Amino acid sequence: MTYYRPIIVFLLFGIAAPVLNEMGLLSDTTLNLWGRYFCFAIAALGIDLIWGYTGILSLCQAFFFCLGGYAIGMHMLLKTGTQGVYGSALPDFMVWNRVEQLPLFWEPFHTFTFAFILSLMIPAIIALIFGFLAFRSRLQGVYFAIITQALALGVWLIFLRNETMLGGTNGLTDFKTLLGFELADPASKRGLYIIAFVTLFASYFLCRFVVKSKLGRVLIAVRDSEHRLRFIGYRVASYKVFVFVMASMLGALGGLLYVPQTGIITPGRMDVQASIEMVIWVAVGGRGTLIGPIIGAVLVNLLYSFLTGAFPGTWLYFLGFLFIGVVLFFPDGLIGLRSRIDIKSLKRFLPRRTRTALPVAAER
Amino acid sequence: MKIKRHNFLRSICALVLILGASPIQAQIDHQLQLGRIASNDRDSITTAVRAISDEKDVAYYALMVALFNGELYLKNNELVIIGDMQEDDYGDTLAPLYTAYPKRHPILNDEGKPLIATLIDLEEIDSNRRIRALIQPYLTQMEIFHPDPGKRRVAVETLGNRGDLGAVPMLRDALEKETDSGIQSLIRVALGKLELTHPDAEVRLNAAKALGDLNNTFVLSFLQARVEPDASGNIAELDPAVQSEIRDAIQWLETFNQIMVVIQTAFVGLSLGSILILVALGLAVIYGQIGIINMAHGEFMMVGAYFTFIVQNICLIVLPVAYIDLFFPLSLPVAFLTAGGMGLLVESLVIRRLYNRPLESLLATWGISLILVQLARTIFGDLTAVKLPQILSGGFELAPQVMLPYNRIFIICLTAVILVGLVAFFFKTRFGLRLRAVTQNRGMSACMGIPTRRVDAIAFFLGTGIAGIAGWAMTLIGNVVPNMGQTYIVDAFLVVVVGGVGKILGTIVAGLGIGVSNKVIEPFAEAVYAKVLILGLIILFLQLRPTGIFPAKGRDE
Repeated sequence: MTYYRPIIVFLLFGIAAPVLNEMGLLSDTTLNLWGRYFCFAIAALGIDLIWGYTGILSLCQAFFFCLGGYAIGMHMLLKTGTQGVYGSALPDFMVWNRVEQLPLFWEPFHTFTFAFILSLMIPAIIALIFGFLAFRSRLQGVYFAIITQALALGVWLIFLRNETMLGGTNGLTDFKTLLGFELADPASKRGLYIIAFVTLFASYFLCRFVVKSKLGRVLIAVRDSEHRLRFIGYRVASYKVFVFVMASMLGALGGLLYVPQTGIITPGRMDVQASIEMVIWVAVGGRGTLIGPIIGAVLVNLLYSFLTGAFPGTWLYFLGFLFIGVVLFFPDGLIGLRSRIDIKSLKRFLPRRTRTALPVAAER
Repeated sequence: MKIKRHNFLRSICALVLILGASPIQAQIDHQLQLGRIASNDRDSITTAVRAISDEKDVAYYALMVALFNGELYLKNNELVIIGDMQEDDYGDTLAPLYTAYPKRHPILNDEGKPLIATLIDLEEIDSNRRIRALIQPYLTQMEIFHPDPGKRRVAVETLGNRGDLGAVPMLRDALEKETDSGIQSLIRVALGKLELTHPDAEVRLNAAKALGDLNNTFVLSFLQARVEPDASGNIAELDPAVQSEIRDAIQWLETFNQIMVVIQTAFVGLSLGSILILVALGLAVIYGQIGIINMAHGEFMMVGAYFTFIVQNICLIVLPVAYIDLFFPLSLPVAFLTAGGMGLLVESLVIRRLYNRPLESLLATWGISLILVQLARTIFGDLTAVKLPQILSGGFELAPQVMLPYNRIFIICLTAVILVGLVAFFFKTRFGLRLRAVTQNRGMSACMGIPTRRVDAIAFFLGTGIAGIAGWAMTLIGNVVPNMGQTYIVDAFLVVVVGGVGKILGTIVAGLGIGVSNKVIEPFAEAVYAKVLILGLIILFLQLRPTGIFPAKGRDE
C-alpha cells in the first residue's frame, strides 16, 4: 500500500488535474491556486527539516521565500522590456522614482540562468553566513528564534524602502513573460502548475533521502539531545548550518515558483507574521514527518481562501486559535492525530495536577 | 494718565536719541500729526500716516487701527474712536466713545459712565484704499505689542528679518514690556541682527557680543553671512574688531550647538532606552522565571493602553472638567490590574501546559497576540487616542529651540521608579526571595516547600502587569491602536536576549545600550538602517557573549 501512495498522488495531482483543466472540467483559477499551495508546501518542507527534524525554530523562512520570489520577479520585470506602462526599458516603479539607470545589482537578472542560480544562491549564502555566526556562538532555542525574527523584521523594513530599488511597498508586479511563454496564457499557467507539483514531488523525495540518511539521524539527534551529540564528538554547528542553508534554499525554491503564478511579490509576504504563519502550517500538518508539512500548508491555505471569502474578518481569530489549539492539543499535528485516537490521549484535555519539576537551566 | 503718557514718550524718545531725534521735536511732532489727521483732508492724513509710519511710534497704534477700520471720528474737533454700534428706539445709531491717542480708553461722562454719542453728531475721518495701504505695514510692525503671543512672535521675526534699523527703539520698548521669555529671546535676536548692520562700529561690536551670549544657534547663519565673502566676494563686516567679535560669537555658538546636539541625542536615546526597558522588564521577569518568551507581551501593553482610554472616557462623564486630568493617575492601577489579570488568565489556560516547551509556547503566545489584536480592532476600531494631561504637555526648555518634552521625562522617571520598585520587590520582600529561589533552582525550591506553580503564576501576573503599565505610559507619546504592541516588541526581545536571562541589570544595560546606539546612528543613516546595523552589532556581540551581558551562573555551558 505504502509504495503505491506516491504514485496515486502523482497520477491525481500531476496528471489528472492538468488533464481535467485542459478538458475544461477544472477551472484555471483552482488549478492556479493549488499550484501556489504546492509552492508553500515546498517551503514548508524546508521548515520541517529545520524545525521538525532538527528542533531549531527559524522565524525568517518567509524572507528566504521572498528572496527567491524577488529574484525571479526581477528577471521577469527586465524581460517585460518596453512593454510596461511607461514604455521604458526600466521597470515601471523605477520610472516613478525617477531612476535614470538600471542599478548595477539588477544587471545579472537579465539572463534566466543567472536569475535562477542567484535566486537559490543568495538565500543560501545569507543563511550560510547568518547560520555560521549564530550556531558558532551556540545560539539555541528561543534565542535563535528571536534573532531570526529580528532579521525578518530588519530585511522587511529594508525591502519596504524605495531607495533599495526593490519596488518598495508595492513590490514587483506586472510581469509579462517567462522564458518566452506568455504568463497570461492558460497553457503557461498549467505548465507552471505542473512544474510546481513536480518540484514539490522531487523536493519530498530529496528531503526523504536526507532524513533517511545518516545525516538525517544526526539531525534528529541534534533535536533530541544536542549536548550528548556534542560530547560524542559531532560538530553540531556544521549540521545546523547545513540544515539552515537547505531550508533556506527550499524556501527560495518555493518563492521562485510562486511568483510567476501570482504575478506579484510584495514585502507583505515576508513580514514578521508571514514567517510564523509558515511555521504553523508545519505544526498543523505534523512536524517530524515529511507528508505532514505538505498537508498542513495546503490545508491551512485552503481554509484561508475559504474563510476570507465566507466569513471576512474572522481569519485572524481562527488563525490565533489554530496556533493555540495545535500547540496545546495536537502537538504532533494531523498526522500525529491518527495514531493518537485512543483513550490515553483524551487525558490530555484534562488539566494535569501533578507535573515533574522543570529545570529551567536545561532549556537555555 | 497724562503723566504716564509723558513718561512713556520720554522713554521712547530717549531711545530715539540714538537715531539723532530730539525729544522736543517729537512732542511738537505728535501735535502736528494729530492736527493733520483731525483736519480730515486726505492729503494731510496721508502725510501724517507717512510720518507716523516712519517714526514707528507705538502711541499711534489705537488711532491707526481705528483709521484703518473706519472707526475714527471727530467730536468737537477732537479725535475719538467709536465702539460697538447700537440702534436706539428712534432709529438713531449710538456708540460708546473711546480716546484715540495715545491709548484706546473709554471716555466717561460726568456720572462716571461710558459716554455714548449719536453717530450723526460726529464727523467721520475719511480714509481710502491708498491710506489704508499705507497704514497696513505700520500695523504689522506694531503687532509686536499685540496681546496674542503668536502674533507678537511673527511680528518680531518679520521686523528682525526686514533689516530696517528704525525698528530698533520699538523692539527695545517691546522687550521691556514682554513677559514671555521665549519672545524676549526672539526680540533680542532681532535686535542683535538689526544692530549688526548699524553704521556705528561700537554698536555692532556690542550686538555681536549680545548675539553670542544668547545661545541661540539660529543666528549662526546670519553671523556667518556677515563675515564670509558673499557671491561677489564682498565681506559685509569690514571693521576688524567687530569681525573678530563675530567670529568669537560664531565659534561659541558652534560649540554650544554641538553640546546641545550631544545632550539631545543623549536625551532621546535615554528616552528610547527607558521605553525599551519598560517594555522588556516584564518580558525579562517572565523569561527569567519560566523560560518562556511571551510573544503576546506587546498585546498586554495594548490592553493597558486601552484600559487607560476607557478610564479616560468614564472620567469625561463622571468628573468635573477641572479635574479631568485625574483620569491619568486613576488609570495606572486599572492598567496594571487588568493587564496582569488577563495575563493570569492566559497563564492558567495556556502557558501552564507549556512550561517545558519554550518553542511551542512561542507559537501559542503568538496566537494569543493575534486574537487580542483582532479583538481590540473589533471593539475599538482602528484609531483612538488618550488626551495628554495638562501637566505633561510642553517641555523643559534647555535653550532656545532645544526642548525636552515633559512626557518623555516622565517616562524616564517612571522607568526608574519601576526599576527601583522591582529591585526592592525582588530583594526586600519574602515573595521576591521565593521568586529568586525558584529561578535559581526549581527542584530544590519545591523541596523546601515553595509552591513553585503559584510563584510562576504570580511572576506572570507581575510581568504582564508591568506590560500594562508600559502601555499606560505609551499613551503619552502615541495613539492607542490595536497593533501598538508591535512597535517596540522585537527590540524588546533583543533587549532580553542581549541582557541575559532574568537579570534586571542586564535588561537596563541592554535597553539603554540599544536605545542610545539607535539614536547615535540615526543621524548618519536612516532609522531603518540604524535598526539593521544594531541587529548586526547584536549578532556580533553574541559571538563574544552568547548568553548575554550578564550570563546566569550555573552548571549549564
